[in-house]
Amino acid sequence: MVGLPARGKSFIAQKIVRYLSWLSIKAKCFNVGSYRRRAGSGHPNAEFFDFNNVQAFEIRQRAAEQAVTDMMKWYEEENGVVAIIDGTNTTRERRNWILKYCREHAIEPMFLESWSDDMDMILRNISDVKKSSPDYEGINPELATKDFLKRISKYEKVYQPLDHELDKNITYVKLINVAQEVIINRIQTYLESRVVFYVMNLHIRPRCIWLSRHGESVYNVEKKIGGDSWLSERGFRYSYKLPDLVKQSAGDADLTIWTSTLVRTQQTARELPYKQLHWKALDELDAGVCDGMTYEEIEEKYPGDFKARDENKYEYRYPGGESYRDVVIRLEPIIMELERQENILIVTHQAVLRCIYAYFMNVPQEESPWMSIPLHTLIKLEPKAYGTKVTRIRADVPAVSTYKEKGTSQVGESTQDGTKSRNILLNLPESSN
Amino acid sequence: MSEEDQEPRGKRKKKKSGTKARHLKIREMSVFVSDEESSLNEPTARPGNHMARTGKRWSGSGQVRSVKLSNTDGVHESVETEDYISPGQLYSTESGRLFHAGRILIVLVGLPATSKTLLSVAITRYTRWLGVRTKSFHVSEYRRQMTDYVPDEYFSAVPQTKEGMEYRRKVMTIVHEDMVRFFNDTKGQLGVYDALNIRSSERRDIADKFSSMNIKVLFIESRMTDAELINRSIKMAAQSSDYYGLPKVEARAEYMKRISLNKPLYESMSPEEGLSYVEYINFGQELRIYNNHYGYLTNKIVFFLMNLREKKGCVYFARCGTSDADNYLNDEELNEDGKKYSQMLTDLVVNRINERRRKTHGAITPASRKISPVTEPLEFLLIPTQASVEREAFRGDHRIRQTPSWDGADEDSFVVWTAPRKRTYDTAKFFENRGISVRQRSQLQQLNPGVVADMSEEQIKAKYPMEYFEWSKDPYHHRFPRAESYHDLAVRMEPLLLEMERMQGDILIIGHESTLRVLYGYLMACTCTELPSLNFQRDKLIEISFSPFQNKATLIPIPPVTSYSSRQS
Repeated sequence: MVGLPARGKSFIAQKIVRYLSWLSIKAKCFNVGSYRRRAGSGHPNAEFFDFNNVQAFEIRQRAAEQAVTDMMKWYEEENGVVAIIDGTNTTRERRNWILKYCREHAIEPMFLESWSDDMDMILRNISDVKKSSPDYEGINPELATKDFLKRISKYEKVYQPLDHELDKNITYVKLINVAQEVIINRIQTYLESRVVFYVMNLHIRPRCIWLSRHGESVYNVEKKIGGDSWLSERGFRYSYKLPDLVKQSAGDADLTIWTSTLVRTQQTARELPYKQLHWKALDELDAGVCDGMTYEEIEEKYPGDFKARDENKYEYRYPGGESYRDVVIRLEPIIMELERQENILIVTHQAVLRCIYAYFMNVPQEESPWMSIPLHTLIKLEPKAYGTKVTRIRADVPAVSTYKEKGTSQVGESTQDGTKSRNILLNLPESSN
Repeated sequence: MSEEDQEPRGKRKKKKSGTKARHLKIREMSVFVSDEESSLNEPTARPGNHMARTGKRWSGSGQVRSVKLSNTDGVHESVETEDYISPGQLYSTESGRLFHAGRILIVLVGLPATSKTLLSVAITRYTRWLGVRTKSFHVSEYRRQMTDYVPDEYFSAVPQTKEGMEYRRKVMTIVHEDMVRFFNDTKGQLGVYDALNIRSSERRDIADKFSSMNIKVLFIESRMTDAELINRSIKMAAQSSDYYGLPKVEARAEYMKRISLNKPLYESMSPEEGLSYVEYINFGQELRIYNNHYGYLTNKIVFFLMNLREKKGCVYFARCGTSDADNYLNDEELNEDGKKYSQMLTDLVVNRINERRRKTHGAITPASRKISPVTEPLEFLLIPTQASVEREAFRGDHRIRQTPSWDGADEDSFVVWTAPRKRTYDTAKFFENRGISVRQRSQLQQLNPGVVADMSEEQIKAKYPMEYFEWSKDPYHHRFPRAESYHDLAVRMEPLLLEMERMQGDILIIGHESTLRVLYGYLMACTCTELPSLNFQRDKLIEISFSPFQNKATLIPIPPVTSYSSRQS
């Protein structure tokens, strides 16, 4: 990353890491600031960032070296694919040093610069940094802002933005005022182009995403998986109640509904007075030969498969069906579109919701397939600059539980605490009903 | 936007089915594509997605149609007919236009020999495939149609004589009128205007004219500063139909004249003009996007341009070898015939690529021995390329840009993609033995047939008569219960398609007929009426080669397995 403080570098870096990890591409962010803090400079004031401060400069150089060394170790020992050095890297000298180091290890780095003179955006970012950066923990907000602006001015003195002529031989992307103007130089792989396209689609306008499973279906009641059944009577009750729940959460905001192509999601959404789109990509994980069976039947008929799935639920692919990994791949265009869009309500299925939720909340692959997402509950996601805020709203319409613990063919939430992953959603703050 | 406009295409088509039926023949019920000779198994009654491949299995096609032969790239065919439906993955609306964006005119800007025609054709191909009603307007084509002989002067953006100016005005008027008609009368959504447009006043006029009609105007300025690239473009341009019959040297001289005529007249675009534009430098080496506020389609086109590369190799399509029962559930292995087929396919493709490599850069000692222990004798190995030799030589040298060692990074590499099915990737085993990268791509998973899996067309008709009827009207967009439509398949395969565009070298894709159809349909710009019935046989290897104005498909016979003799014996 390249750019002055408060240009959204960390935001972009974290988004990229989350997006790639979700696609099973091993990615990691190395934040130079946190290396510096670990070296003992916890609450530095602006003077620390003066480039004439020799002692501090050395500490910062050492932090950068540590970050780069760790990165290379990660590439070699953990087969990393995409590493991001999240720092300001404002001088050409520093960038050339990184470039040389990478090329000596047969890596051609891509520099991503965020440049902005939009003062409103910068101040918004500063207020976010104040709240989230450990550098300003416990410091009066007004003082913190002042100090931070001063810190930026120290960087401005030495800042050498990426240059059309001087940097023409390196791979770089320059985003000017988010993506108002974009310069893309010497992209050499598909993965790089994918990252650039993703970054170009990011926006920071406030918006919300709501997620809901379909109402209880006839198959849910019969404990069967898959199929294309209708809603049960209670499922229909949820569909009648949904418009109120949405209204209560979204107010008068306009939104778009996305459903799958299956009957139960469309029935669930049919009372909602918004425009609707049906996506094939939102259909439930395909259980192949097990489609329409109960877990008990699967255990009896395909005991090997049943066990294999419990052991590695993310990778397991039903014969003739799909794995969670397959679902993630087909959801990728949906995620790209979601990033671009404003308010969206998605009515879809358990496995698909797990995957979408995992993207926004950075849930690891070992846990995401085991999350419990109860029926008749609306989940609200509010993306913020540094993370996503989640709340859930229960409809108060009873429904069966379709949650299956590892190692059993019985569905239903057990009374004990269960696994950590199961409770990721159950422990969410609930908005008043 | 009205409620109506928000509906996805699939649903829309169903509603319009009444009118559609008139345009499409109901297909012969008794003819179907069958690619396996094994006996007909009783299909299981339970819905599932396993696809036991029986002799009369449904294959998404109601008729046998052979793959279109050479010189029939559909990218220049009309999209202006009332019932035109493009393969498209995006939602279109009742008005026939894309859900996300309004009408857009892309205006190319640049001197001769800056690949403007190639760009406009590529953008047309890609956006049509995305579901946009796109048409490119090549001024050179108009000119060729108007007169046989064109004085040099007429190629100038600012002719000096009265006749020259008059001629230019006339051509421009016709092109502009055609573009307006395309937008206003035939539901056109994206026009691509391929002309010099090197004068800033001219650009202003176009922007004003079309903006006033509520059409967004995006300029793409192509510039070349790399001498080698310019040289190649000139060579390519000198082969265009303008110089048909002229000796190479003369054609080149003529073309150089055109460039020198216009060079002094060129006014480069600048942000101060206040226009939205993309600067496209040295064939995508650098891209600069200015005043970007059209969002989606611009981003999408930029993404495409980032991946568009000048193709040096070809794309090959082949089916996988045979297995015994052709049963999907067991994910079977190849049988003896299948193995023989794999071996023959490997020989055929490797020889073909080697032949081309020998022609272009003579023989270099095989580098594959560096990659893995290779057991094959040398003469069967792939000839290494200049790029791969250089990559190895400069590895770790910090003064030189590093090329990643992964697939297709070298400008002339060869990669094999297969579907994630045993017999498909086993078909590629012999390639792997020769040190060639083979990758399983999950996006190449075949079309999910849903409830009609394992069923013959007769059985589908008997069991799901209504579904069958709907399908026969629109086999591209119709989705059987629980199944994927070709449209769904295209959406899922899009990332693969862009990766394919990015690779400059050779790619062999071994896959199920359904996925080959989608990729072939993109490269040869098939309409969605044609696409589901393209027929890929096991006895043919398909080679797609690239040129700026159109792609060419060549069928290469694969010898029957009975003719196989193992070279070890």
